Amino acid sequence: MNFWFAVIRQTGRNLRQTWATQLITCLTVSLSVLIFSFFYLIYLNMLSVGDKLSDNLHLVVYLEDEPGPEMQEQLRLKITQFDQVEKIRFISKEEAFNRFAQQLGDNREILADMPTDFLPASIEVVPLKTLRSLRHVKLFSEYLATLPGSQKVQYGQQWVERFYSFTQLLSIIVLLSGSLLILTATFMVASTIRLTIFGRQEELELLKLVGATNSYIRTPFLLEGLLQGLAGALLGLSALYTLFQWTTHHISGAGFFNLLTFTFFPFTIISIIIALSIVLCTVGSYASMQKFLRV
Amino acid sequence: MNRQAAPPDEATSSSGTAMIEIIKVTKSYPPNVTALADISITIASGEMFFLIGKSGAGKTTLLKLLCNMEKPSNGLIEIAGMNIHQVTGNKLAKLRQRVGMAYQDFRLLTNRTVAENIAISMEVSYKKPHIIHDRVRNLLAQLQLEDKHDILTGDLSRGEQQRVALARAVANSPTLILVDEPTGNLDAASTEQVMDLLTRCNHSGATVVIVTHDEAIYRHTSHRIMKLHDGKIASLTRGTGSEQPLAADALNATDLADKSGDMP
Ligand SMILES: Nc1ncnc2c1ncn2[C@@H]1O[C@H](COP(=O)(O)OP(=O)(O)OP(=O)(O)O)[C@@H](O)[C@H]1O
Ligand SMILES: [Mg+2]
Repeated sequence: MNFWFAVIRQTGRNLRQTWATQLITCLTVSLSVLIFSFFYLIYLNMLSVGDKLSDNLHLVVYLEDEPGPEMQEQLRLKITQFDQVEKIRFISKEEAFNRFAQQLGDNREILADMPTDFLPASIEVVPLKTLRSLRHVKLFSEYLATLPGSQKVQYGQQWVERFYSFTQLLSIIVLLSGSLLILTATFMVASTIRLTIFGRQEELELLKLVGATNSYIRTPFLLEGLLQGLAGALLGLSALYTLFQWTTHHISGAGFFNLLTFTFFPFTIISIIIALSIVLCTVGSYASMQKFLRV
Repeated sequence: MNRQAAPPDEATSSSGTAMIEIIKVTKSYPPNVTALADISITIASGEMFFLIGKSGAGKTTLLKLLCNMEKPSNGLIEIAGMNIHQVTGNKLAKLRQRVGMAYQDFRLLTNRTVAENIAISMEVSYKKPHIIHDRVRNLLAQLQLEDKHDILTGDLSRGEQQRVALARAVANSPTLILVDEPTGNLDAASTEQVMDLLTRCNHSGATVVIVTHDEAIYRHTSHRIMKLHDGKIASLTRGTGSEQPLAADALNATDLADKSGDMP
């Protein structure tokens, strides 16, 4: 018989003796894992939605007059002074007309009477494809409006702003639920371990007297915390996965959502959440032990 | 006066090394209880040693010092050459695994079975489960408690609890066995079983210190008997039926003379 056999047997006894408290702790931990990972999952998906949106994001600066080559060079310089950009494209009046005609397709006859320069010339500015660019797009557009000859700057103003404040709100909720997870995991586990220690004071005392080593007495409590963290995380994540499956299954087909594909956590993030929960619970049990287990 | 340098008595010299060395040990409890005063005694390895004295004389206190449950206020205690009150951590744990103590108040886990209680002292030194199982069966048979294997110790009679406490003390085959009142609640037949068990342990090499009020168990012994009185050594004799003071290693002759007046 070796050390680990003894430790596991002792942990088994602890769990059996206080299973009701253990179960409640485990459920609390899993609930906080669920809450945290729920918001985190939404946040991550929103980020990837944001990525996709910023892929298509471009600002259009409508100009009063068609700029000559020299003017184009100057404008290009001014734009890149503000921020680096992915691409700048000048669209002449004619180009704009042709494009519009193409979009109309079979209905292009209605343009037959129009002069080919009735649409204004414009500059298409594609910002760098990062979420940061989404955040800066408003400032950028304000800057572009000050360019010489600029008439109007357009981008999906409203939705960009809404989307941005939504992700910001989400990140705050993620932080809050993260702190909730930290609090519940450490404190609930700490108090459960404390109860176990108090309930077995007599036995721990005796173990010391018959020559149990410190690690023989302590490791089971650490293991208990570790198991709580593992079980709580697994339970919380499986609940989230079930919820995720159910939701994606039921909203598929409902228009808007079809445009976005929601994904579950990748394996690395699952592992990180589990590891985090384990670490927090073990820290909780360790703290409790340091405080109440005088060996 | 050769207080400490007195020649060792037969028991010490016959087995060579000292298991217990108690040198000028005093133990006082706040505010002003002196449970032990200036005790010096050497107990040899493999010796069986009786400790007697009326209630409150300090017998239990001495055992508690020997198993490191309490620290002496003064003086030095060595077990197998180690100052046990300086040993800490895993070394202390290892030392305690070699010392079996049967407590006067038993200290059984009343919500665990007899077998589990006895197993504890072996589990901490990682004995294999089947060895533990066999040893528990064997000890229970020697103490005629076979049928109590799976009973909670809380449900046992005092006398049964006392024997379970003893079984736990000797289970891990310690080299030093300390027993506090092992026969206090027992009838003559059970007392004999307990003494047989302790004698067997002693014959297989363990040093055994027995604290007792029960004259029956030391009346016919040939081992040393130390009597405490108010925390001091009142007498140290070899049991031969007639009480003859020994030229004890650590016992001062004048102390003995002083005490002889107090003795009945
Ligand atoms: N923790 C303590 N605090 C204060 N006084 C104590 C403590 N432990 C023991 N004593 C005192 O020390 C003295 C010796 O006690 P001890 O338990 O050693 O006696 P004993 O010889 O074992 O008696 P008994 O035969 O009744 O068991 C007693 O006067 C007791 O009241
Ligand atoms: Mg006593």
